Amino acid sequence: MSSPVRRYARIWARTASMAMQAQLTYRLGSAGFLLGKMIRLFFFFAFITAIFSHVKTVAGYSLAETALFFLTFNLVDMIAQIFFRGVYGARRIVSEGDFDFYLLQPCSPLFRMIFSSVDILDVVTLLPVLAMIGVLFARLPPTGWIQYAAYALLTVNGVAIVLAIHILVAALAVRTQELENAIWIYRDVMFMGKFPVDVYGKPVRWVLTFAVPVAVMTTFPVKALLGILPSVWIAYALALSSATLAFALWFWRDCLSRYTSSSS
Amino acid sequence: MRKYLVAYSIALQETLQRRSTLLMDRLGGLAIVVSLYSFWSALLGDQPSFLGYTRAEMLTYVLAINILRSFVFTGRGWLLVGDISSGRISSYLVRPVSYHGYALALDLAQKTVHLASSLVETSLLVLAVSGNLFLPKDPATWILFAVAALLSSLIFFFLEMLVSSLAFWTSESGGPLFCFELFLQFAAGAFFPLDVLPAGLRRLLAATPFPYMVFFPARVFLEKVPPSEALRLLSIEAAWLLAVVLAARWVWGLGVKSYAAEGG
Repeated sequence: MSSPVRRYARIWARTASMAMQAQLTYRLGSAGFLLGKMIRLFFFFAFITAIFSHVKTVAGYSLAETALFFLTFNLVDMIAQIFFRGVYGARRIVSEGDFDFYLLQPCSPLFRMIFSSVDILDVVTLLPVLAMIGVLFARLPPTGWIQYAAYALLTVNGVAIVLAIHILVAALAVRTQELENAIWIYRDVMFMGKFPVDVYGKPVRWVLTFAVPVAVMTTFPVKALLGILPSVWIAYALALSSATLAFALWFWRDCLSRYTSSSS
Repeated sequence: MRKYLVAYSIALQETLQRRSTLLMDRLGGLAIVVSLYSFWSALLGDQPSFLGYTRAEMLTYVLAINILRSFVFTGRGWLLVGDISSGRISSYLVRPVSYHGYALALDLAQKTVHLASSLVETSLLVLAVSGNLFLPKDPATWILFAVAALLSSLIFFFLEMLVSSLAFWTSESGGPLFCFELFLQFAAGAFFPLDVLPAGLRRLLAATPFPYMVFFPARVFLEKVPPSEALRLLSIEAAWLLAVVLAARWVWGLGVKSYAAEGG
């Protein structure tokens, strides 16, 4: 392990440990948040299961396939919640002047802003999601290792796009000290990824594939697993994540170069 | 009464002043409606009906959800938690106003703006789906729907006040409030009609005030509840409102007695 990687791993482990300790201190509050997240998962799963007790397919997908779309959305979303949680406090960090301290520390301010908080509750919620994905893998018709590899690759690719979005939100906070709701817009739009993109009309599908690539983040991995995603779309997904990450990093650097401190 | 009207007027201006926040809130809500609308559209496919809902009725239910969410689910719970935890509540307690009355005036201002926005959004969506909707034939239905929605909104407001008052005793009341809000949205039918759920779960929910908050008004609008039955259910909803108001005021009284503040 090279030195900077080890250093950042240590910083992450330390800040993550502190965030977890803080959450564990507030037991009642954390229990409420955890229960809420479980309720959300349970009700949506109950909804999908109940729907399929009345119909055989939705948009051509079976219960197992639709459930896998839903769980893959949760997988991508929860990984982002676990690792990129710091962005939710970006505006406050900037407006209260804490960001100035980040700039003085021998650590990337972007790293501090995005990765400095870990939501342990999502780690707990992620476990049943992973278990259910495992069960669904066993229930789906057997497929080759290439499909499983493509699923894993496109899921990681989805997380990379989510990271790019979080960097953009952090950059906007540095630039404007406002746009507190930007991250919540992302959360609401991500809601559309709970269902396969095929349920949407053509214009919405286009938007979700090219403009706000929720489909690339959540639908593409499952389609690749089912063997119904042409390889050209896999190439598109990988190119898109590279381009959005490159743009997000450029935008972050640009916003940082214009930052003039916002608090004393 | 005049002071509450002034508070309403100021809050209305403040809400309208924060146009970017409002726009982002509405965009997020719209994403959820488009998502649910598309899902039900895909589910219905060529079927004439699903669970007793025709295509027009189901799609109208989703649009009614958008209006009801904007009118019912805009509470002041998180602000009350913040006011108590930070000690700001002290300044309200010494003023010659009822905190609940003052908070309700502010909440009504927010509801006014969100309701108007949701009506515009829904009208645009209606145009987009070219009239494939259910509209009540009986003019009395509109009145019953409006009364049911008003009662729902008040029940939500006082339920939130009740749960948020936990902050008088613990600084961790955010967790229970988060859990309560999530559970309530599902149990109220704000994502899908409760007919989808298994009969046992439906019976359990029927013994709570939650189905009266979205599911019942939406069914009234769809004329799925005969007028005499609607009146009976409205009286039950009113009884729930009375019970929730009394409980919220009682807990508030206990909380204020146990509340202590230091410093200036």
